[in-house]
Amino acid sequence: MSLVQKGRWITLVALVCLAAVYVRALAFTPVERLQGPAQKIFYLHVPAALWTEAAMVLVGLAGIFYLFLKDPRLDRFAEASAEVGTVFATIVLTTGPIWGKPIWGTWWTWDARLTSTLFLFFLYVGYLLVRGAVRDPGLRARYAAVLGICGLCLVPFIHLSVFLFRTLHPQPIILKPSAPSLPNSMLATWLFSLVAFTLLYVGFVTQRYALSLARAAQEDRSSDAGHA
Amino acid sequence: MPDVPQNAGYMMAAYIVTAVILLGYAVSLYRRTSKP
Repeated sequence: MSLVQKGRWITLVALVCLAAVYVRALAFTPVERLQGPAQKIFYLHVPAALWTEAAMVLVGLAGIFYLFLKDPRLDRFAEASAEVGTVFATIVLTTGPIWGKPIWGTWWTWDARLTSTLFLFFLYVGYLLVRGAVRDPGLRARYAAVLGICGLCLVPFIHLSVFLFRTLHPQPIILKPSAPSLPNSMLATWLFSLVAFTLLYVGFVTQRYALSLARAAQEDRSSDAGHA
Repeated sequence: MPDVPQNAGYMMAAYIVTAVILLGYAVSLYRRTSKP
């Protein structure tokens, strides 16, 4: 089985899991009394946010190792992770305001968590634009690695921003030193969703990595033809 | 005890938007990786 086919199968399993998450979240998970049904946006928003941050951490780490090892596989992985991270960041930045409107009474506020997450999204877009703009593969990988390392430095700030500043954004209710502050039925739905998003990340990155591999082979063939 | 807020429309909007983004990207990847 080729890498693309593996990626497709993982993505298919992930999408089936996500469909099951939808059914469980919408039909079998209790409605929170104070926030109402809008609270259920949490089951999509938070796993997507975690993988938006994790994807950038992996882009940054791949960038650091690339600068030392010059292994093109690291650069290809970083490219794939950045594209998937951009997709997840888009989900975070659309579901967040949809939750904010009924709960806060506003779509957007320029507080530390929201603004830094928007900045991360722009960093992702900038990363992809730089990759598209630089033709030399070595130079492209170096510039991209530096941007990825900038993103890696931003992620802890985003995660800790709710502790460092006065923000409207809720404090963590799962990823915190003490026990999660939600009932087991809601926690199970959230964990199930996290598994689905994790599989989506793996499936998407595997396919995107295979695509980069195919493009690199094509670039090599065209440059060989140019030299001949 | 306060009434539960009636905001299911926002929930549905968020779930639909997420599905559209993820399915759209999955289709985009499928098409790009299918090209010879």
